[in-house]
Amino acid sequence: MAEVDEHNTSFNSTESVISIKGLHKAFGDNKVINGFNFDLKRGENVVVLGKSGSGKSVLIKLIIGLMKPDQGTIEVLNDKVENLNTSQLDEMRVKVGFLFQSNALYDSMTIRENLEFPLRRHRKKNSKEDVNNLVMEALNNVGLPHTVDMMPSELSGGMRKRIALARTLILKPEIILYDEPTTGLDPITGKEISNLMLDIQKKYNTSSIIISHDINCVKIVANRIVMLIDGICYATGTYNELENSTDTRVKQFFE
Amino acid sequence: MIKNILIEVGLIARFTARFFREVFKPQFEFSEFLRQCFYIGNKSFPLVAITAFIMGLVITMQSRPTLVEFGAQAWLPKMISVSLVREIAPVITALICAGKIGSGIGAELGSMKVTEQIDAMDVSGTNPYKFLVVTRVMATTLMIPILAILADGISLYGGYLGCNIHGVVSWDLFWNQVFDTLVFADIVPSILKTFFFGFIIGIIGCYQGFNSSKGTEGVGQSANSAVVISSLLVFIIDLLAVQITDALNLN
Repeated sequence: MAEVDEHNTSFNSTESVISIKGLHKAFGDNKVINGFNFDLKRGENVVVLGKSGSGKSVLIKLIIGLMKPDQGTIEVLNDKVENLNTSQLDEMRVKVGFLFQSNALYDSMTIRENLEFPLRRHRKKNSKEDVNNLVMEALNNVGLPHTVDMMPSELSGGMRKRIALARTLILKPEIILYDEPTTGLDPITGKEISNLMLDIQKKYNTSSIIISHDINCVKIVANRIVMLIDGICYATGTYNELENSTDTRVKQFFE
Repeated sequence: MIKNILIEVGLIARFTARFFREVFKPQFEFSEFLRQCFYIGNKSFPLVAITAFIMGLVITMQSRPTLVEFGAQAWLPKMISVSLVREIAPVITALICAGKIGSGIGAELGSMKVTEQIDAMDVSGTNPYKFLVVTRVMATTLMIPILAILADGISLYGGYLGCNIHGVVSWDLFWNQVFDTLVFADIVPSILKTFFFGFIIGIIGCYQGFNSSKGTEGVGQSANSAVVISSLLVFIIDLLAVQITDALNLN
């Protein structure tokens, strides 16, 4: 717990890398995001907690531009996402990594091809040797260098998650958006992935938004927690602050 | 019902319009295009070849008795060459490709859609429409005419063997009759229409896959709809093509 306290309170940056103001998104009559405001500081890990269907995944898909908001502004690294054209959006996405809940590995490609895919598009000047070095560095970061010529279908769930993380890291993003990174994994593998996320934050000084229900993962990775309830930022604070909250809607997540 | 059909037609038209906007824009996914050409052309060839051979043989054998009744069996090579080259080989090739390639594209892209692989491509800064749709539609548009030309030749060879089952027609006589009969107006329109067949098979397969939903059930539906809609459109294009050639006095 002492380690958790130290991680939760060790964060001091003031520079915002993501700034969200008055965000609204509805699907028909269902208003999932209803005036959400939020800032992510450089080097900070923020966990977004909320019930299933509360709009957490929608939130990060709005940030990365996979969905368009009905109202409100999202600034990523000082660029307003809604004002970006396709090529500017692509440039922005190089700086923002996204780890999918389903991993979304290209199942017709080997692990090497999966990792090379973003590199070949955004680091065209890299030689074959450079590309190979970057692939091996990313695989070493997640502890799976021996899987380089395997197919995704040959890997276990935890290994696929690590490979997906390696693919997210290969372009050295400044921000990483994690969509339920430990869902479907056993507690030990989940803890390994959580520690890996923490290592990545320390090694590359990345800022992250993590969608998670896994309270063990939250405990390990969160500098700050944001409670997404009724489409708004209902409460925010460190793990210890929210765990000791007297608000029943907040407290129920920590019981 | 009619409203839903019109909405679907509108969405397909918008999807197709995007193809023409994207196809000339860099960056060109050349290696993926070649990979698709190999997959669509090379891997479909055996099925197309066997079917074309059988169609040529069967049509010749079934046409023969009628011509014999009128003492016109010598016209057999002329008759089958026109029917095979103008109609049967291109349409059969297109229908086989609609089944094999259209369903394959629908299922592959549908599976990529429901497992978020298309979104993953998008967030990694790659235009998935250009990488997945443009390359596949270009490949089907180019490869299906080539397959149809090969099917023409193979079905005619089947016809030659068919002529020789109950009679004797020399190799030279058969091919002389075939090439004496076939003219510009037989060959060019039939090849031209296969470009449209290829385009429609590619675009419908991609549209269905790209708009897949509801998990594995949706993937199955995408593959199924890709085959049904593209096969129907192949016949509609064929109908339009015959009207155009008729209006131009090319029949």
